[in-house]
Amino acid sequence: MSAAKTGANETPEKPFGIDPRGPRFGASITAVLLLVVVLLGLTEPLGSDLVARALQPAALLLTVLVALFAWGAFAGIQKHPYGLLYRALVAPRLAPPAEREDPAPPTFAQLVGLLVTATGLVLHLIGVPGALVIAASAAFIAAFLNAVFAYCLGCQLYVLLVRAGIIRRSAARA
Amino acid sequence: MFRIFLGMDVLPALIVIVALVALATVLGFTLRARNTRVASGCGGDEHHLTVAGAEVTLVQLSSPVCSACVAMRRVATELVASDSTVAHREIDVVDEPDVARRHSVYSTPTTLVLDREGHVRSRLIGAVKPADVRAAVDAARTLAVVTA
Repeated sequence: MSAAKTGANETPEKPFGIDPRGPRFGASITAVLLLVVVLLGLTEPLGSDLVARALQPAALLLTVLVALFAWGAFAGIQKHPYGLLYRALVAPRLAPPAEREDPAPPTFAQLVGLLVTATGLVLHLIGVPGALVIAASAAFIAAFLNAVFAYCLGCQLYVLLVRAGIIRRSAARA
Repeated sequence: MFRIFLGMDVLPALIVIVALVALATVLGFTLRARNTRVASGCGGDEHHLTVAGAEVTLVQLSSPVCSACVAMRRVATELVASDSTVAHREIDVVDEPDVARRHSVYSTPTTLVLDREGHVRSRLIGAVKPADVRAAVDAARTLAVVTA
């Protein structure tokens, strides 16, 4: 703890880390799509059987979102399609990021999003009324906070779990 | 689907949508206010943490995997670069659990603003705006001393 440890061996800098605006860009697309799911879910009665429920527009769109969350959670946030879109179309038009962040927390946040939306989708398919709308609303709030306020609930959860020793921090920050 | 969209049940759905956005916005402002603020310091003597020669030392308590810590580090580094009477040092909360306990550090980054004597004059919680950091630093420079 000698003086001015500043930036020496703390949170990963340059070669490691991602532009923190990337996940926020993705979260804004996700937030809008989740809001559409809520709207569709509210304007349509629950389908009568499994196939009908699976083919409802709200369920179809939520299935796409579940798949996207799974992509981010398992392939890593950097390989997420929105991340690729951000790097190809948005990042070149912006100034370089003032800081970079560890990709592990936003990747974990994708897993949290996956759990919430997949649970809602499964319950909807089983025929639980309101499950789809409630899950999409919860996920919307998280995505909105991330996009608008740069507050990533899943990342906070990740930090808490790391601190509690439940998740082992990735070796990425050597 | 279009029939439903033109039907009457769209209005309540739209109200729910607006309420949802409003709720998320209120939540966002609440979280921001809670996570980023300037709190008073309770004095104490943390002379061992001051940087010799500096009028004001910013002691940033950080933890790994904390993006706000990086933002706060940048703000502090910029201030130090423009003002040679101010020093900044960063420590891991794990290395200084007693300091964290003494000054009610519940989240990282929390930055203690120490005057020359090592009294904690204020605590900057979260990635505080440069203007607020400057104001806290200037306040710590003034003579009034809070001794514990």
